[in-house]
Amino acid sequence: MSYIDIQNLNFAYHPKRPILKNVSLLVDKGQWIAILGHNGSGKSTLAKTMVGLLDPDSGTIVIDGITLSGETVYEIRKKIGIVFQNPDNQFVGVTVRDDIAFGMENLGFPQAEMLKKIDFYAEKVGMKAYLDKEPAELSGGQKQRVAIAGILAMQMDVIIFDEATSMLDPTARKELMDYIRQLHNEGLTIIMITHDIEEALWADRLVIVKNGEIFRQGSREELLKEPDMFIEAGLELPVELQISNALKKRNLLSLEMEEHLWESSLKK
Amino acid sequence: MGIQFKEVSFQYPSWGKQMFEAIKNVSLTINDKDEFIALVGETGSGKSTLAQHMNALIFPTSGTVEIFGISVTAKRDKKIKYNTLRQRVGLVFQFPEYQLFEETVEKDIMFGPKNFKVPEEKAREMAKKALNMVGLSDKYLTRNPFNLSGGEKKRVSIAGILAMDPDILILDEPTSGLDPVGKNMLMRLFQEIQEKTGKTIVIITHDMDLVYEYTNRVLVLSNGILEYDGTPNHLFHRDDISKWHLDYPTTITVLKSIKDKFHYDIDIYQKNVNDAVNTIAKAVQL
Repeated sequence: MSYIDIQNLNFAYHPKRPILKNVSLLVDKGQWIAILGHNGSGKSTLAKTMVGLLDPDSGTIVIDGITLSGETVYEIRKKIGIVFQNPDNQFVGVTVRDDIAFGMENLGFPQAEMLKKIDFYAEKVGMKAYLDKEPAELSGGQKQRVAIAGILAMQMDVIIFDEATSMLDPTARKELMDYIRQLHNEGLTIIMITHDIEEALWADRLVIVKNGEIFRQGSREELLKEPDMFIEAGLELPVELQISNALKKRNLLSLEMEEHLWESSLKK
Repeated sequence: MGIQFKEVSFQYPSWGKQMFEAIKNVSLTINDKDEFIALVGETGSGKSTLAQHMNALIFPTSGTVEIFGISVTAKRDKKIKYNTLRQRVGLVFQFPEYQLFEETVEKDIMFGPKNFKVPEEKAREMAKKALNMVGLSDKYLTRNPFNLSGGEKKRVSIAGILAMDPDILILDEPTSGLDPVGKNMLMRLFQEIQEKTGKTIVIITHDMDLVYEYTNRVLVLSNGILEYDGTPNHLFHRDDISKWHLDYPTTITVLKSIKDKFHYDIDIYQKNVNDAVNTIAKAVQL
């Protein structure tokens, strides 16, 4: 049985404009999947339904054997956490310490255990020196790390990154990506919502969403065999692969060149 | 005319901690016509602070910013209506949420012109024109801005500034959060506005691919100091830009790696994918 089992999900703000159409998705424990789609494809809506922030009009979401509903939503939120695009929208504490504590307080963690955990996870995300700082004194990347510490402290199994890197500068973005890789190696299940193929290429499996539907899914090796499919889905290939693709169409792509471009696209 | 910075420094008010100087001794001139400028530098380098001086949203701690002939210094002159400068120099913020507040898109875009005493009917007309300019149809006029997607909100916030018909348009990270297709559409839109109207456009960005492909001048800030003011081409020919925490555009990086590996005699300074492909194609066919 998959850790996350989503069946026939439908969601719309207005009946005339459905955002999610019959979406079904399975995610195994420890997997890293990227949900990839253009702006407005419905990928963020899908993420929000998974943590009960939006109620689907129909369909079911089962996480670790528990069916998501009004009664189970708090149970589910102990298992699955979400880091949002705009770091300012999720910082609830007055200081870094309060912010990491927030989730644990809601779950009624004992004080002593909580304090220990705050220290431990602040250290883990490299924010221990900032525990008494206010959000205004932190960069976007630092706020994202604080959000991650809060989620880790609650010992969740899954973290959803909802375009969490898209507002960060290139340095902070690279740091966050390295950090996500580390979390994945430690066994966390990662769901990455993104429109950036370069980021998505790190995942075990790519799920491509287009106009509210799952358009294609598979490993990157499989999907990159059809570069035009990405363009059809309103996405753009990394520059290296755009070049590779264009040369291939002109019959000018040697095997060596193809390999070189492929490797450079993954190096970033 | 345009904007002249003369030895401008700005320090944020400090709360008992050490003084943090956001920009230091910056001098530069921005013409009110035909420029497409990128303002770059790492987070905290002072980009937004510099941009907010360009329409007197903040006042320098020392030095003078001359905006269309009006001197803006540390001392506010009660006789000067600084807000009229904001009509001539429009600033679009990074997060459209900070800028949108009316219940329909039309009202939101009309707000600026009405604020500058444009009659209702004329403002309505300007709103429609501005909306079409950013590639959205009339049916958006009645929509609630808060129910739009991120990319649409961004366009509406840009339309709100365009409706005031400023001579200079400044955009703080206009493409952040947009998907690649949306990014390029927006950049082409700026290019089109720039070419059609001759307005000067300044964008703050971290994306060197966009800087290289679209702009014709780059300002590099590092720790509040203006370190470079020149063409993108000259900037990317330098081998020391990493000291300002800048990357090279992907086309240059890829072509350089190909040149090194396959020993092709190629010009690696190509501004877009098409030119890069043609460059490689030529070398391969030789």
